[in-house]
Amino acid sequence: MNVNAVSDVFRRVLENPEVSADSDFFVMGGDSLLATRVLSAIARASGVELDFDDFLDAPTPSALAKKIASQA
Amino acid sequence: MSYPHDVMKDFAGAVSRYPDRPAITHNGRTLTYTELHAWVRATARRLRPRPGVVGVLASRSPATVAGLLGTLAAGGTYVPIDPAHPWPRRRALMSASGCATVIATEPTEPTKPTEPAEPGGRLVGLPSLPDLAESAHKPEPDTDVVVAGDDPAYILFTSGSTGAPKPVVTPRRAITTATRALRELFGLTPGDRVLQFASLNWDTCFEEILPTLTTGATLVFHDHAHSGSFHRVLRMIDAERITVLDLPSAFWHELVRHLVDERATLPACVRLVVIGGEAVSPARLADWRALGTDGIRLVNTYGCTETTLITHAIDLHGPLAAGGTGERVPIGRPLPHVRQHLSEDGELLVGGPSLALGYRGLPEATAERFVELGSERYFRTGDRVSPVADGSAADGPAADGALVYEGRLDHELKIRGIRVDPGEVEAQISGHPRVGAVAVAGVTVADHTTLAAYIVPGPSADDDPTLAADIRDYLRDRVPCHLVPSRITVVPELVYTASGKVDRAGSHRRYASATV
Repeated sequence: MNVNAVSDVFRRVLENPEVSADSDFFVMGGDSLLATRVLSAIARASGVELDFDDFLDAPTPSALAKKIASQA
Repeated sequence: MSYPHDVMKDFAGAVSRYPDRPAITHNGRTLTYTELHAWVRATARRLRPRPGVVGVLASRSPATVAGLLGTLAAGGTYVPIDPAHPWPRRRALMSASGCATVIATEPTEPTKPTEPAEPGGRLVGLPSLPDLAESAHKPEPDTDVVVAGDDPAYILFTSGSTGAPKPVVTPRRAITTATRALRELFGLTPGDRVLQFASLNWDTCFEEILPTLTTGATLVFHDHAHSGSFHRVLRMIDAERITVLDLPSAFWHELVRHLVDERATLPACVRLVVIGGEAVSPARLADWRALGTDGIRLVNTYGCTETTLITHAIDLHGPLAAGGTGERVPIGRPLPHVRQHLSEDGELLVGGPSLALGYRGLPEATAERFVELGSERYFRTGDRVSPVADGSAADGPAADGALVYEGRLDHELKIRGIRVDPGEVEAQISGHPRVGAVAVAGVTVADHTTLAAYIVPGPSADDDPTLAADIRDYLRDRVPCHLVPSRITVVPELVYTASGKVDRAGSHRRYASATV
């Protein structure tokens, strides 16, 4: 999954079009419950199963895309 | 024990009937009832004589269960202290609960002081499991501690509008009564394996721990339960052969969404799913029913900390037709030990033996919420409810006598199943030196409720672009994360009502579109 695809997931889950590559999910209103939607969507699209701690480490689309690439 | 049906007597009964059955498993490692009992007794011995209020640093591990049961066995009052909470918050909770003894369930970090707040308090280490092998072979006769039904069993905190949480004191009679009622409601047998999911710092975890360990069933701890990945959670449920799940409604909503997206269902080992904490979405319930979950009993529940665990419940499986109750899913009927009264304005009042003693050190707040009706004590829940219309055709008898939640009488919100008074968050934010005025409102983002804060800077903070981030950090140092608004917006002014009070909803409406 590239940065754009992860940003799209953020936009859909947060119901907010203003997501950029460096938007922090948890600053934009994301919480642990909404995070599960992001993690499920990533697992479906890429087969990479990240957990909540991975997401807290990499809360932006660009950081998360790198994490996905490193585990794919 | 002087009064006949104490919850620790029920635990001892399970130990003597099922000594070799697994009481707790943790990431696959098992503790039998005999081993857990030895751990509990060793913990209780360290606390004697009567320990008063015992703070337990409640990490998510079986050690916390040993701390809870050990405290109760010693006749003490349990108060969970969340090791993840900021230190000022922990100190305030210890002080408000009168906690004189603290049990550390893990070696404590030197940078995070854990000493009791009260002068003369003590820090007690939990006996480690290896120490027990020895003591198990030379059983000392335990001198039974004499307890009464009115003795406080635990203290938990609910949100208070002044910024200080209110300590709810729950007596042993209440937790014993509720535990028995839930064994019945869940239909637990020794073969059940119950997932430990709820935070150990909140009362919902007692729904998992106490009915299970007084039945001879198994409580399953597993790190994957909180991994955030439903793929891992579902594989773990299957591998651990979990039979009972007790989930916050908001988490269950996400689980159902995931199952729909994956075209999956729950592993076949699951027989019962208990949900509660906030309103159940009729759309997710319809999804659930379309998932092929016919063999799984789904029970919606309702209760307040002040009335001890679950007081109302209803089976959502079976004849209760989807849509038959309109747009709302009933919260349930009173359990057998519960008395209820609906006031003229529709407020639900709950009475019976599961009532808390009151708020510690707060006689006025106690008198306001715990009221006499006739000769009985009732708790004013602040929740407006209405009975499901009698015999409404679509529902049939299944919904008769059930209540539907209509809303709050005050401003309280439910954030991830936890009651939050926006006034508490406002009071905390107002303590920030650069804040002039603040309004906190509940907002629904992607169908669940979060907090939004609208902040007017004080004179020294005009045009400070770092203010929102600074307030977020300030709160994270002081309050648990569910009280930190997920959206903080700096605005030029708040909206006020005609009478000059801050209009929380109005402020939100004016600025919602500007919120990032």
